[in-house]
Amino acid sequence: MAMERILIVDDSEMNREILTDMLGGEYEILEACNGKEAITLLNKRSTEISLVLLDMVMPEMNGIEVLDVMKKNSWLTDTPVIMISADDSADTIHKAYELGVTEFIHRPFDDLIVRRRCQNVINLYAKQRKLMGLFADQFYEREKESKMMIDILAHIVEFRNNECGMHVVNVQTYTNILAEAMAEKTDKYGLTPEKISLITKTAALHDVGKICIPDAVLNKPGRLTDEEFAIMKSHSAVGSEMLNDLPFHKNEPLVKMAYAVARWHHERWDGRGYPDRLVGDDIPIEAQLVSLADVYDALTAERCYKKAFSHATALEMITKGECGQFNPLLIECLNERAEQMRLVKEGGADLNAEYDVREFAKELLKSDALYSSDRLLHLLEYEKMKSRFFEGITGGCSFEYNAESKMLTISENAAKVLGVEETIIDPVHSEQLIGVFGQEKLRELSAAFRSLPPENPIVQFNFHEVEGEPKLFRITDSSETNIQTPANTKYTTYKLVCRATFTIAEPQRYTGVIGKLVPLESEYGIMKGANIGDLKGML
Amino acid sequence: MTLKECYESIGADFDAAVARMCNKEAMLLKFALKFPADPTYPALVEAYEGGDIPTAFRMAHTLKGLCLNLGLDKLRESSAALTEALRDNANPAPNADELYEEVKRDYEATRSALGSVEA
Repeated sequence: MAMERILIVDDSEMNREILTDMLGGEYEILEACNGKEAITLLNKRSTEISLVLLDMVMPEMNGIEVLDVMKKNSWLTDTPVIMISADDSADTIHKAYELGVTEFIHRPFDDLIVRRRCQNVINLYAKQRKLMGLFADQFYEREKESKMMIDILAHIVEFRNNECGMHVVNVQTYTNILAEAMAEKTDKYGLTPEKISLITKTAALHDVGKICIPDAVLNKPGRLTDEEFAIMKSHSAVGSEMLNDLPFHKNEPLVKMAYAVARWHHERWDGRGYPDRLVGDDIPIEAQLVSLADVYDALTAERCYKKAFSHATALEMITKGECGQFNPLLIECLNERAEQMRLVKEGGADLNAEYDVREFAKELLKSDALYSSDRLLHLLEYEKMKSRFFEGITGGCSFEYNAESKMLTISENAAKVLGVEETIIDPVHSEQLIGVFGQEKLRELSAAFRSLPPENPIVQFNFHEVEGEPKLFRITDSSETNIQTPANTKYTTYKLVCRATFTIAEPQRYTGVIGKLVPLESEYGIMKGANIGDLKGML
Repeated sequence: MTLKECYESIGADFDAAVARMCNKEAMLLKFALKFPADPTYPALVEAYEGGDIPTAFRMAHTLKGLCLNLGLDKLRESSAALTEALRDNANPAPNADELYEEVKRDYEATRSALGSVEA
């Protein structure tokens, strides 16, 4: 097994040396000589560091400030901190505990105590991480298995139908889309992420009653007689009774919801559906959602008795009430998400895969504990490594700003171009950045980012770097296409493309911004920007 | 002289210091001999005499920490007193100058004693 890594943060070299001597044999030691260096290191490799030994009184950033940044970045959940201090003031100790240090070591520290405490804290966290990983795996497996069981059951029903089996999958995806649209529109139906997930699952069981419909009726090509149609219509009542007759699990939310979906997915808003002729919101929302999803898929798919209608025709037929009346709010949802529905119709199974991933991500986000599971951390680490690698090759300049921790991370290249450090705390007030952009422009940028709406989160700027003033970048209006430059002045123009980021959970909150600096034009005068940019990108 | 004799000559508790290093006398010897070359004290002098109280405070604090670990008790006491006198950076205690002189005296004594230790 690889050695655990300990980061020692202390401004005195001799202190770091003494600690390194005490711990060096058993651990790989990283050193930082002030708080800022520690943050830069942690920002790059926090998941690789098993423990931080932190001094309190330091230049640049003191121990308390480091803890504050670590807490805001949620690094403390995975990286424990032991504070080392000769300072016994209760105030400081309280403050440090409040911010989440795991342990204190008072000076003078003793070789044995230092080693034991470090070992204990690392073991504790390792065990916790292992348990969380196990839990996440189990959780994921369970979730996958239960979804699989429902899918199998639903496909058994479909199988008799001589259809390709996409119907169940499609109805689930459409139901999910409509449910999310409805949740955005109103909270009168209590459509929480949990409830939407349950509705989407049970949507697979809407036609479970068809298992009892004779083959001759179920697969009859052409028109059904009145008598046959009556038999066909019985599938909703039969399906719900089957679920109601379950000898077990009857009171589980999933079964109750499956009952409602199976029984009432052919009811209509005006009371002209079946089997119970329910009216309006007497029809449970889960059944309303599945019923519209079912109709849309039935219209747009080919069946043994009909050809497929186009997306546009299907939408028109539904809106005109040719397939019965639906909740007007639901029709609004359909029209708003029409494009998304069309993409699913055309993309088929591909989007279903995405649905699975989204579902998993949602489940993960629901539980704080899982958020920090090793699997996720490693995925993130991998993504970071990948982008750093490509950046290195293409010479790209990018940055990432986390509004919560007020931390700006700039790629190596960009930091070099701008002549600033790679990690900057509170960039709007950073002297380095003020030197590059000027106070006013920085504020302008910050305000521009904050005002971006989630539905239109991208903004672009042009910068140009004039020779002789390599650090001065002027932001010009993005609509300005012809940049005026004095004759014989060498300059480089960059395009700055930025995207604001938001929380996944509703309501979406601004969490920061990511962006990339793309060289557009250089040398004397104006060139065909895009081509040069593309070329440079390939070098 | 030996490190033990040196510690005794400046009123420092040798046994306690060695015990903290898990009885590894070589380790204590290594760091004690490095102490005269440590940049903390010169930085303290420069900051204090240049009127840079925040840095002087930090350096006094670091010096105190080092002395705590190396068991240099006398210098630890005077640097601890100076640390407290400078803690409120904007209003150093009126006797800070005296305490500073005491740190200087203790430091010189410690350094010259450590200088006569045979490695």
